[in-house]
Amino acid sequence: MEEQTQTDNHDHTQEAAAGAMSPGYDYLSSALKVSFFLLKIIMVILIGLYLASGFRTVEPDEQALVLWFGKIRGVGEDRLLGPGLHWILPYPVEEIVKIPVQKKINIPLNLFWYYEKPGSEMPESVDSRAYVPPTLNPLTEGYCLVRGERQKLPMVGSEGSDYNILHSKWVLTYQISDPESFFKNCFVDTGQLQAGQGYSDAIEKSVTPLLRGLLADTVVRTMVNYTIEEAMYERASGVTEHVKRLLQDKLNEIDSGIKVVAVQRNRIAVPRQVEDAFEAAHTAVQAKERAISGAKLYAEKTLSETAGQVASELLQLLHSKDANEQDTERLWAQLAGKAQERIADARAYRTKVVESARANADYLHQILPEYRKRPKLVLQRIYKDAIEQILDNADEKIVIQPGRAKTGSEIRVLVNRDPSLRKKTESGNR
Amino acid sequence: MKNIIIPLFLLLLLVVLVLVSTMFQVRETESALVTRFGNPTRELSEPGLYFKWPPPIEWVHKFDSRLRILEAELGETTTKGAVPVIVNTFIVWRVSEPLAFFNAVGTFNDAESKLLSQISDTQNKVIGRHFFSEMVNSDPEKIRLEEIEGEMLSGLQEAVKGIYGIEVKAVGIKQLKVSEDVSKDVFDRMRKERERRTEATIAEGTAAAKKIKTDADSMQTELLAAADARAKAIRAQGDAEAAMYYKMLEEDPQLAMFLRDIEALKKILESRSTLVIGADVEPFRLLKEMPVLDSNKP
Repeated sequence: MEEQTQTDNHDHTQEAAAGAMSPGYDYLSSALKVSFFLLKIIMVILIGLYLASGFRTVEPDEQALVLWFGKIRGVGEDRLLGPGLHWILPYPVEEIVKIPVQKKINIPLNLFWYYEKPGSEMPESVDSRAYVPPTLNPLTEGYCLVRGERQKLPMVGSEGSDYNILHSKWVLTYQISDPESFFKNCFVDTGQLQAGQGYSDAIEKSVTPLLRGLLADTVVRTMVNYTIEEAMYERASGVTEHVKRLLQDKLNEIDSGIKVVAVQRNRIAVPRQVEDAFEAAHTAVQAKERAISGAKLYAEKTLSETAGQVASELLQLLHSKDANEQDTERLWAQLAGKAQERIADARAYRTKVVESARANADYLHQILPEYRKRPKLVLQRIYKDAIEQILDNADEKIVIQPGRAKTGSEIRVLVNRDPSLRKKTESGNR
Repeated sequence: MKNIIIPLFLLLLLVVLVLVSTMFQVRETESALVTRFGNPTRELSEPGLYFKWPPPIEWVHKFDSRLRILEAELGETTTKGAVPVIVNTFIVWRVSEPLAFFNAVGTFNDAESKLLSQISDTQNKVIGRHFFSEMVNSDPEKIRLEEIEGEMLSGLQEAVKGIYGIEVKAVGIKQLKVSEDVSKDVFDRMRKERERRTEATIAEGTAAAKKIKTDADSMQTELLAAADARAKAIRAQGDAEAAMYYKMLEEDPQLAMFLRDIEALKKILESRSTLVIGADVEPFRLLKEMPVLDSNKP
């Protein structure tokens, strides 16, 4: 520029002295024209480059806000830019803020867990049975207070302040649901970013302390409403839902633009100091269940042995006032087991009694004509046949000659009722 | 043409310089305060482009107005009933009035240290107004933890209002614990409670099992009784049917009785019997002596 200015001055003096047609002037003038032309091109290129620097890509999992001199540009839906290539006025007029709205981020919260030596975090490691202090130091050990069981007869002076201690571990999964509120209200520390990193890289680190605090507060407030049983087993999913709801309320209250995707309670444990008592209680529950199922098995077996499949149906029928006769007969017909045996015995008895009565009657009827003709002979024959049959069937027959002496004679016969036993005695005596 | 270029260029340079020193942006995330010769003149909380006199006449101070979390140290305090509790309170806060903030504190570090003492002050005051049984209670209806937090929030809002230019948006209790001595009592109680439950469970199990068994037994008795009744009816039926045949025996009752006795005798001595019999009984008489037959008879 300096040179050009000097040349200019020189030109003026020459013009005055030698007129416009000197060859030197021509040369200078054409040189100037070239340099002006170049300058123009450079400026056009610079402006072009400047404007071209306004292209920004928004990734598929992001949405973006554009700040026009620091103020969010646009109205309504236009305020948010979706994924794709966008052009904005370059710095310092406009600025783009990209926010990962699809990204789901996890924050673990181990604040309510007991102190574990580093490296002994495996639940079943050898260290887990290591020394357990009899108390919990509130500065190093984490836990939640949970409410006690509602007592039917509250202890005098306790005012119902019966409470217990539980350890738990949580994981929060969150997502940015409202980029504008999030950008306006949540502190994101972009001061410590390294080269090449942007706003979105700083989000996770900056938001974690806030969310961790709010989650911890929610957990503390929620857990006091539940008993150990409820928190651990009966209403476990209810507790996490409760935490999730309260946390979302709080996040909405401060207009954070953050959505709770999920709250998980990864682990929950009673204090190690009372673990054995809980295990004993657990074992007792199992023993109870075993005893009951054993008794049920016994009941089933007894009933089916007694009456088979229809036992319970039959019982109902016996208890009901207006039993249908057809049903009753059907059920009795399907009877099995001991009851059936008794009825079968009775049936057998009936058959036998009837049959033998008929047989006797028939027999009498048959021999009667013969008997009327020769009564003595018929009787004798029957009698002799019978005696013969009896003697034939007897295992042992002892025939005794009656003694001549009229007085003092006595016969002793040792008989054993069981023939098999008698044989043994005999062989033993030999 | 060439005469215009240089001044134009200089003018452009000047304009840029003036603009840079007089224009400033306030972003959505911040608020600003403009001071003229050290005295605050304008408070700007709306985002956008603003103008000011160039330094050293006017300066602009910007304050981040986004929500920050501030956590007090875990500390012991006492409830109304003199129960020691260990709590850890945090607040969510932001700069709301740049002027007041600028006057009262100025920097975030300052603000935080002032807030910290304010937090523990309010926390202790509020907790001191409540019984421990309002924090955790076997009757959930009596738990007032949310109200306690609410009181802390309003207390803190009251305390910082108009002084620090700070707005407290939320208060939370990050941890709520009991003292180490008390934890031992809690464990004793928990243990006793479990032992009581264990015993109750065992008793319940025994009783339930016993009841099921007794019920089954009584059902069995009932079923068998019903079956017996039915069996008896069947037997009676049999006896009744048999009785019809007895009528036929009435043709000669004596013979019938004899036949019956014979049948009974046969049946009684059917097996496993030892018979001791005198030699003067038929047909053993034959063992004693020859029979005397009356051969002359026809």
